[in-house]
Amino acid sequence: MSTTQGTGTSRPANPVRVVIVDDHAIFRSGLKADLDAGIQVVGEAATVEQAIAVIAQQRPDVVLLDVHLPGGLGGGGREVIAGSAALLPTTRFLALSVSDAAEDVVAVIRAGARGYVTKTISGAEITDAVFRVAGGDAVFSPRLAGFVLDAFGTAPADIADDELDRLSARELEVMRLIARGYSYKEVAKELFISIKTVETHVSAVLRKLQLSSRHELTKWAAERRLL
Amino acid sequence: MTTLPVRPPLARSSDRVIAGVCSGLALHLGWPVRNVRLGMVLAALAGGAGLLFYAWLWIMVPTADEAARRSARRPASPIAPAVSQVAGPGTAHDAGMGPGAAGTVTPGPGQAGTVPWFRAGGVRYGKEILLGCGLLLVAGIMIAQMLGVDVSLGTLIPAAAVLGGASIAWMQLDETRRAGLVDKTKADQAGGWGRLAAGLALVVAGVLVMVSGSGSWEQTWLALLASVAVLGGVVLVLLPWALKFWRDLEAERAGRIRETERAEIAAHLHDSVLQTLALIQRRAGNEHDVVRLARAQERELRGWLFQDHGRETGQLSDRIKAVAAEVEDLLGNAVEVVSVGDAAMTEAREALVQACREAMLNASRHGGGTVSVYLEASDGQAEVFIKDRGPGFELADVPADRLGVRESIIGRMNRHGGSAEILSTGDGTEVRLRLPAAAAQGAEGKS
Repeated sequence: MSTTQGTGTSRPANPVRVVIVDDHAIFRSGLKADLDAGIQVVGEAATVEQAIAVIAQQRPDVVLLDVHLPGGLGGGGREVIAGSAALLPTTRFLALSVSDAAEDVVAVIRAGARGYVTKTISGAEITDAVFRVAGGDAVFSPRLAGFVLDAFGTAPADIADDELDRLSARELEVMRLIARGYSYKEVAKELFISIKTVETHVSAVLRKLQLSSRHELTKWAAERRLL
Repeated sequence: MTTLPVRPPLARSSDRVIAGVCSGLALHLGWPVRNVRLGMVLAALAGGAGLLFYAWLWIMVPTADEAARRSARRPASPIAPAVSQVAGPGTAHDAGMGPGAAGTVTPGPGQAGTVPWFRAGGVRYGKEILLGCGLLLVAGIMIAQMLGVDVSLGTLIPAAAVLGGASIAWMQLDETRRAGLVDKTKADQAGGWGRLAAGLALVVAGVLVMVSGSGSWEQTWLALLASVAVLGGVVLVLLPWALKFWRDLEAERAGRIRETERAEIAAHLHDSVLQTLALIQRRAGNEHDVVRLARAQERELRGWLFQDHGRETGQLSDRIKAVAAEVEDLLGNAVEVVSVGDAAMTEAREALVQACREAMLNASRHGGGTVSVYLEASDGQAEVFIKDRGPGFELADVPADRLGVRESIIGRMNRHGGSAEILSTGDGTEVRLRLPAAAAQGAEGKS
């Protein structure tokens, strides 16, 4: 994923407190080693129950959350977010997955995750994504942007449409550029807008993705299992 | 001592008149089907020996489908996933015969000439010929009676009823036949049960008339009532056992299906993942090879796990993904494809794919990192963006004899009514390919 490359996300003064939730110990330790010094891993969990307990106890800034987790009722990452709903305003979730299945991604984003990245992402990129999510922004990979475009359609919104069911012309442009592999900074340069405006657009798209009652969204995800 | 010839396994073929016994036997023995059928008819006339033999084979010999299912297939080697993915879809459905029959019906060298003859004369009109023969036989008997020859109708008709009923009932056991019926007329289980009941009734009535030996309606009716009552009683007593037996059978079958699935998954993992892991261990020193192997295996496994089998394949996005996989294998750098929308392939779109391939090759070779490819297809228009993060280049600086960019990308797109644009800065290069709907449709009309 290259969206977050070299965007110069401003680092918070205090280290970002992170909990890693993944059922593979090898992946957790690898991820921990990859993360920047500005990120402090305060807890780890391998199952849904452990995750909910650790998150409630540590109240981290960001949770790196695997989409597929054992335990609980079988809901995986979605269930962890639902179980930590009370902390959602302060604790932010970044979904990590090897799965390309749209259903999984839609489920975890609609449950409240602030972004979705694949597990093949590099250490620098994930560090950047963590800072971005901690700062309240959304993290979109090219795949997620492609998924949004496919689900919402590539035609801009009419005024008559429900605002939540369509993307505005500007949001479409931003999504298209992200799908093409542009970083936020490059998107800003291309569209002659500030990075902050790009972030606002991306957050708006995330909100639509989470709140839209557009029936195509879930149907689409169930029908097409690939991103 | 002569060496034994290798024979195909004895299985009932789907190339059949009644149950495929004769053609299966012919295939097994390497004889012409016609001779086998003729022999069977002659044997049937010799005191019914042929009929008995036919019925025995019908019951005992599995159909070609069942036989094929017993020898489980293994997936093809995935080490060249790009190749196997391109060649994969479409081969199974092209044969135009019953499912699974394609491989087994292939005639041996000696019968190449006779099988087509039978296909034209035998199978297509087989039922009609059989029916005609039956009617001729009936007519013959009637004429013989008129001429004063004593043919005892009292035994002939019940015998025919028994024979007919039995074959109707047995046909229901025939899986291929039922599948064919469901396909052709949407007949469901109910129709099958109806036929079974009709066959049973025919047999019972025939046997009764034969045994009672009298044409008296009154007597037959009474006997029929009595025998139905007895049969009902027997069914009542045996039903619980039969049900239990049926359930056990079902459970066992479900278990076997699970086992087959597990075996298929195990075989697939063995042939793909384990082999690749072994390769990776042997090449642990070469980072480039390890990454390439891991990417190829990931792609193959993803395709196997998540491929939506109901989706149409061979679309534009599939072609671009296949080409991306090829470039990835060739040069080792990751090529990430994101696609939105899709379109059917045409000549012009194939040109788009080729231009895209050239751009991916350049991006991977000179960019040196991950290549991002984005395809957007809507309302017939297709756009592809290929982006890398290499040092960039100036088109004017490219030597005149290097045709990669000028000819294979820009020239090719222009020739097919599309356009290509190349934007290069110090932060990377993006190639933008556009093929309008009119260009794609025009080429479609020409071809």
